Amino acid sequence: MSDRPTALELLEAVEEFLSSEMLATVDDQRMKFRTLVAINALGIARRELAADEPGLGEDEIRELARRIRAGDVPADAHAVLKEHVAAKLRISNPQYLERYE
Amino acid sequence: MDAEGSALLVRRASRGVIHAATLSLEDEFHVLEAAAEAGVKVPRPVAYLGELGGREAFAMERVEGETIGRRIARNPPPGLDVQLADELAKIHAIPPERLPFLGSGDILERFEGELDSVGEPHPAIEYGLWWLREHRPPPLADVVTHGDFRIGNVVVSEGGLEYLLDWEFAHLSDPREDLAWPLVRAWRFGADDRRLGGVGEVAPYLERYAERTGRAVAEEELYWWEVLGNVKWATGCLTQCRRHLNGLDRSVEYAVLGRMAAEMEYELLDLIESR
Repeated sequence: MSDRPTALELLEAVEEFLSSEMLATVDDQRMKFRTLVAINALGIARRELAADEPGLGEDEIRELARRIRAGDVPADAHAVLKEHVAAKLRISNPQYLERYE
Repeated sequence: MDAEGSALLVRRASRGVIHAATLSLEDEFHVLEAAAEAGVKVPRPVAYLGELGGREAFAMERVEGETIGRRIARNPPPGLDVQLADELAKIHAIPPERLPFLGSGDILERFEGELDSVGEPHPAIEYGLWWLREHRPPPLADVVTHGDFRIGNVVVSEGGLEYLLDWEFAHLSDPREDLAWPLVRAWRFGADDRRLGGVGEVAPYLERYAERTGRAVAEEELYWWEVLGNVKWATGCLTQCRRHLNGLDRSVEYAVLGRMAAEMEYELLDLIESR
């Protein structure tokens, strides 16, 4: 058990610093883009720490990949994979899923 | 500046590559020369420079214009759809014997190999590869392909397409690989409704391509290649990310690509479901 701020709170603090203080001082387009990428990366880490979805375990993912490569595709593979990938997107880019609504 | 008074750009080899089959800078320079000879709109190749500070380099004309995909898709210049077809027709007419070093090979085996090199299980990409194996169309004869023909690798002005860039993935392949690549959702840069690269419709593009090449390709035929395109870019994201993870080229941009692959995984599942 660590003292506060928690890992999540530290990520939030850095994300807020970058987006509300740092970004406005960056003039170079390339650096501005990289700063936005960095903010995005912190957001991914923050959502992952906060997530409590059970989802597929590491062994299940590995086994499913192995079976599909071998041509032994489970009947429900498509549906299982769609949910598995949607769960990854809820962490990496939740807005992306809105493009399919 | 060179003798003709135009500004030059020196392109140097990067540390690590996205795809295993990436050309050396020397070969890329020869492709650029062949494209220029064939009348393709490219920055004028100037000279291959050999190794500069331990990395290969070549010089070409420095060109001006817009390359940012989001900006181009927000306000595409009229005629860009058919101009893309014009350039592709010229590339696909380059005689393969002019570029004897270009590789070909089984495209599905290639991406299986690249996915294996990542060392992380991706069952959705495996599913895409499986579906592609099950639905493989009869091939068209190989042509010289650009290999990364899409918005983002073209320079545009208000007048339309000015230059085609980034020839490092040129290879011999079915012409539909290039034709379908700009249709991939990731290369529509948010303008999802305009299926051709966020800038236009597919029908006029294919019509112009058929006029220029005599090769009539139905929009329907590009579907398989669009699924492949998503497998290709999902895998590309994962291999790019490894350049960061293995220390070859540390970069936050490469790092986050590892998490972006899921977008192409979702798209390929959605595309397959749509049939």
